[in-house]
Amino acid sequence: MLNLDINGRRVTVRKGTALLAAIREAGFEVPTLCHHEALEPYGACRLCVVEVREEGRDKTRVVTACNYPAKAGLQVETESEAVVETRREVLDLLLARCPGSPVIRELASSMGLHRSSYPPDQNRDNCILCGLCVRVCEKLGFTAITMAGRGAEREVAAPLKEPPPDCVGCGSCARVCPTGNIPLVDRDAMRRIWDRDFEMVRCTSCGRAYITREYLESRVEASGLPASHFELCDECSRSRTAQTMYRHMVLDDKEASHE
Amino acid sequence: MSKMLMVTPGRCIGCRTCEVACAFRHAEAGVPGRSRVQVRTLAKDVWVPILCLQCDDAACVQACPVSALWRNAETGAIEVQEDRCVRCNVCVVACPFGNMTVESPKKAVIKCDVCGGDPACAQFCPTRALEYLEV
Repeated sequence: MLNLDINGRRVTVRKGTALLAAIREAGFEVPTLCHHEALEPYGACRLCVVEVREEGRDKTRVVTACNYPAKAGLQVETESEAVVETRREVLDLLLARCPGSPVIRELASSMGLHRSSYPPDQNRDNCILCGLCVRVCEKLGFTAITMAGRGAEREVAAPLKEPPPDCVGCGSCARVCPTGNIPLVDRDAMRRIWDRDFEMVRCTSCGRAYITREYLESRVEASGLPASHFELCDECSRSRTAQTMYRHMVLDDKEASHE
Repeated sequence: MSKMLMVTPGRCIGCRTCEVACAFRHAEAGVPGRSRVQVRTLAKDVWVPILCLQCDDAACVQACPVSALWRNAETGAIEVQEDRCVRCNVCVVACPFGNMTVESPKKAVIKCDVCGGDPACAQFCPTRALEYLEV
């Protein structure tokens, strides 16, 4: 265990805790866009900046809290002038990059920024290169998409910019994307994502298309669960549960009347 | 001793008070959530309230690729760790009882968490079709 001060409050955390976790545990809020508890910290969005002074040092530093370890004797400020100024600058740049993103606009206006001081980039989509989609895909074991290019050319892409062969169409990337920038369309038992079409499996009871075949097969294998667990959609599984319970209820009644 | 939500379908009158109680208990910013319990009509005057069975060997826990589902040692209920959930929705498909639900694509999956040890459904059920009992 180690002690540190966050906004003047003494906090005790386990060794190895990230500064962001320590700050949130202490009840303070720090905005993030690229952080996810199930994934390794990445430090891409730069919104979680805080000001720290290490023990025995005079100077303070502005660091990203998500990938900075909580250290003993650390003094942390989450709303100091330097922090607010840095965060504002980051949002100013994000706003210039994605002027059409409601999420970015809302965050920016919460800091009093209603338009970017930089010329807005009208030709770009709402990707902020936070890498959440790439990292979640890797975490799930598919690694179908990657970061490609450098500098201003950097983007999230499938290998060779073709429909990704390793994608199973699970759609997790689209759901975790903080700006909702990844299109996912389900229509007529087909799913389209990353310019690839996936056939969807229909529930054996009601016929609703509820999962892509590739995803189903990969999850049966990865989970070690029997394939029969996956053959109904959740609504029909629930109906089956109700029927099973009802059958038992009727049997119980019969047994009771025999006694 | 631990407590469990017990369902006695024969007592259910299909009033769906449990669904409303659940939705309100899981309200966020004044907006009712989606109910974790669902009353199914099976025949005339036959209803069965369906909710998570908190399986010992739970398929949802086994299927989750990011360990976002843990059992709360105090209540014995399996809970979704919202900030760990990556919205892959595999638990929704894997649960053979259909008790994992997608509330909205952007949000973590939802399931019965026995309201942290004070389930609203049992509290409001007028006929004790749902009871929270020592087992």
